[in-house]
Parts: sequence; structure tokens; C-alpha cells
Amino acid sequence: MSVVYCHIFRRLISYNPYRKKSTTMPLKRVFFWQPNAGSTVNSQILNEVSQCVESINGVKEGRWKATLTFYKPMLRDQALSAEFPREFIGISLPEQPNKYYFVLRFNKIVLESDSSIQLIMEKLQSYKSRVALNFEGFQYQLGDFQLRVGKVVPSHSENLRGIVMEVEYLPISSLEKSKQIMEEFFDIWQDAISKRSLPGRFIHIEPDFSDYGLADHYTSQHTAVQYTHVTSQLIASVQAVQTGRN
Amino acid sequence: MECVVQGIIETQYVEALEILLQGLCGVNKERLRVHEICLKSGPNLGFVVSEVRLLCDLEQSEPTWTVKHVGGAMRGAGAEQISVLVRSMVESKASKNVLRLFYALGYKLDHELLRVGITFHFQRGAPITVTVSSVNKMLKLHATDEAVPVTPGIQLVEVTAPATSENYNEVVAAVSSFCEYLAPLLHLSKPGVSTGVVPTAAAAAASLMSDGGGTTL
Repeated sequence: MSVVYCHIFRRLISYNPYRKKSTTMPLKRVFFWQPNAGSTVNSQILNEVSQCVESINGVKEGRWKATLTFYKPMLRDQALSAEFPREFIGISLPEQPNKYYFVLRFNKIVLESDSSIQLIMEKLQSYKSRVALNFEGFQYQLGDFQLRVGKVVPSHSENLRGIVMEVEYLPISSLEKSKQIMEEFFDIWQDAISKRSLPGRFIHIEPDFSDYGLADHYTSQHTAVQYTHVTSQLIASVQAVQTGRN
Repeated sequence: MECVVQGIIETQYVEALEILLQGLCGVNKERLRVHEICLKSGPNLGFVVSEVRLLCDLEQSEPTWTVKHVGGAMRGAGAEQISVLVRSMVESKASKNVLRLFYALGYKLDHELLRVGITFHFQRGAPITVTVSSVNKMLKLHATDEAVPVTPGIQLVEVTAPATSENYNEVVAAVSSFCEYLAPLLHLSKPGVSTGVVPTAAAAAASLMSDGGGTTL
């Protein structure tokens, strides 16, 4: 890293154990791995990314796992499927073990509920789980940042479909106030990862949270929306590769 | 799962019932104002019709929502012999978008009610909840400020307790035992089994009101 970046980096990750941590939800950005044209995601890239985190003094803390489920409507007449939501998604997050999140991406609706809502959906029998994706890997502490690096795999398969990375900044809950520091951190990260000459890069496309009625103050509902959008971007990316092959 | 009994009482005797419940439960009453929105799946959705209730607690400074699914009652000879209904029930707290979500999923409004009254939560062999409320209907969609009683002069009393398949017998016994104390004022039975008001209600209420519940009924 250049001298300037080293200075910024030390400031960014400087950890003061006596600094009062935010008592509200820290905010995070979820990135997904975009392979270069002609290349695909693989476990070697995942290993390189993890090593890169450790090379910038990320301390491995433990495992994490989030699950995203696609629900489909049970219809008596499939011809009427256009009347029902195209994407109805359920999400469980490791930081909220007693909660469950529903997102309707095209309707711009996000719901937070108790985990028992899943049992209610089963009893209603109107929507059923179709496909589930697991996001899982290791998390790392990096000063005031927490990073999670994870693979994206279907729930009953080990086929790697993607790689995600969460960057969480612990002291602040305001999306607006955290913009600059998050961008500075990502610049540092890009500098580090680029040295490994991997065939791709991490991308973050921030959803318009206000479309979902979400405010500047970050919550787990924001995270659920991010995972929904990242998944759609991952799917589009995989389909683009498959189209290219064909 | 939950155990449930219901009964009705004339509004003029509700104050006496409050005194009795206060004495029996040993806890203060809580005000109740719940907007209950009952949704049913649209014509093409699901191979069987499904119903779900959304409960909005209007008594809180910020309205809170609960999704509730009430399932089938326990069946069989054993179930018929007990005086308490045992049925499947699942609840989940939800954020304020829940009505929008279910409408978007294809659910339609079947009916809505506003329950206004009081509730007692206490422990007596099982965690029991007693609710005394007027059931009101809205003259305009979701207009809770313009609700009118479905049965003027009559209020609904509901006694419920959560149960599991392992302990429902104990819970049934606790609920049945508690209901006996209310017998002079009202008769409680399984929902759907109509019993009307009890003839001793007037005398029992007068007794309670005259000495604040000190007299044993």
C-alpha cells in the first residue's frame, strides 16, 4: 500500500477499546463478486479473498451464515401467475436469530417478523419454499470494522454460485454519515485485493432504501433488502456467463 | 396451541366482573384496543382457502402488529368431553408493512373488527389471559374511529392460555378451574357453543358492587 493509504488505513482501523460503541445497529454494505468476462467464480478466489483480509490484519472470529429462500405461490391455474409477486423472498440473518425477513423486491416491501412467521406460512399453504441459498463463511474483526466473507451455495449442494462480502462499520448507524469512511475503507481494500490479480472485483450497488420506506438509520431490514438485491445481481451475473457460453 | 373458552356478559355487569377479576388475578387490568383484520386467500391462491388475522394494538403509543394463524381444533372423543377448546394457534410479531405484504401476496380483506375493553394477564396453574371487550365493526374501511358495537349492551369475555401437545391437559384443567369462579356472572364455553347470559348475573354483580368483592359468591 502507498504511504498515504497506509496512513489512512491506520486511522480507519485504529481500535480504541474505550471508545463508546454505538448502542444502535451498526451499518453494513454487502458486496458481491463480479467475475471478469469469460471467467467464473471458484473456491480459489474465495481463499484469496480470505487471505487478503488476514493480510490487512483482519482477526478471524468465527463462522457466519445467512439463508435466503425463494417462495412460490401455490396456484390452481398457473396461467394467472402474473397476478402474484415475481419474487417473494424470506431471509434469516445471523445477527437476528429470532427474526425473519420477507422482501417483495418488485413491490418494494420489506417486513421484519418473529421467526414463527415461517410456521404461519407453512400452515397457510399458499406459498411454499422453492429454492434456498446459504451465504456462509468466516467473519473478521478489523478495528471498528467487521468483515464477513462468504460463499453462496444452494442449500442442498456445494456448488459455489457466488462470493459475498459484508463490510460493517460498528460506531455509526447513519447511512449518510458513514458514506465517506466506507468509501475510504473500500478504496484501501481494493488496493490490497488488486495486488492478487484476481479475475474479477467486488461490487456494491446500493438499493434505494427509501423506496422500501427505510430511513437513514440502519436496521436489519436494510440488510435484508441488500441481500435480496445482491442475490438478483448474482443471478443476473451467472445467467450472463451462461449466455456467453451458449 | 391454545386453550380457549368464551362467554358473553351484559355491559352493565362488566364493572362487577372487573372487581371479581381484580380479586382473583391479583394483577391490574390493562386497556385493550385491538384492530383485528381478517384476511382470506384470493380465489386462485392455494389449493385450499387460507385465513390469517392481523392484529394491530392501538393502545400502544406506536401501533404494533401481530400475525395470527388459528388452526383446527383438537378432535376425537377426548376433545368432545372437555369443556375447553384446544386448537392450533401460531403468532408472530411483525413490522408495520404486514398488511401491505399480505395484500401483495394475494390475500383479500374478509372482515375487520375493533375490540375495545380490558385484559388481565396472570399465572394460575398456567399463564392465563382474560379479555373483556366490546366487538365493534367499522362503517368505513379501516376507520377505527368510526366503529360501532356489533351487539350493543353485550360484551365478549374470552379466557385463553397457551398450551403444547405435552401439557394441554394441565392447561385445560387450570382454565376450567378458573372459569368456575366466574360462574355466578357468566358461563364460559367453547367458541361456537352459545350459552347466553346467566340468570344469577344481576345478583352476583350487585353483591360485588356493594362491597367491592369482599363477599364470597
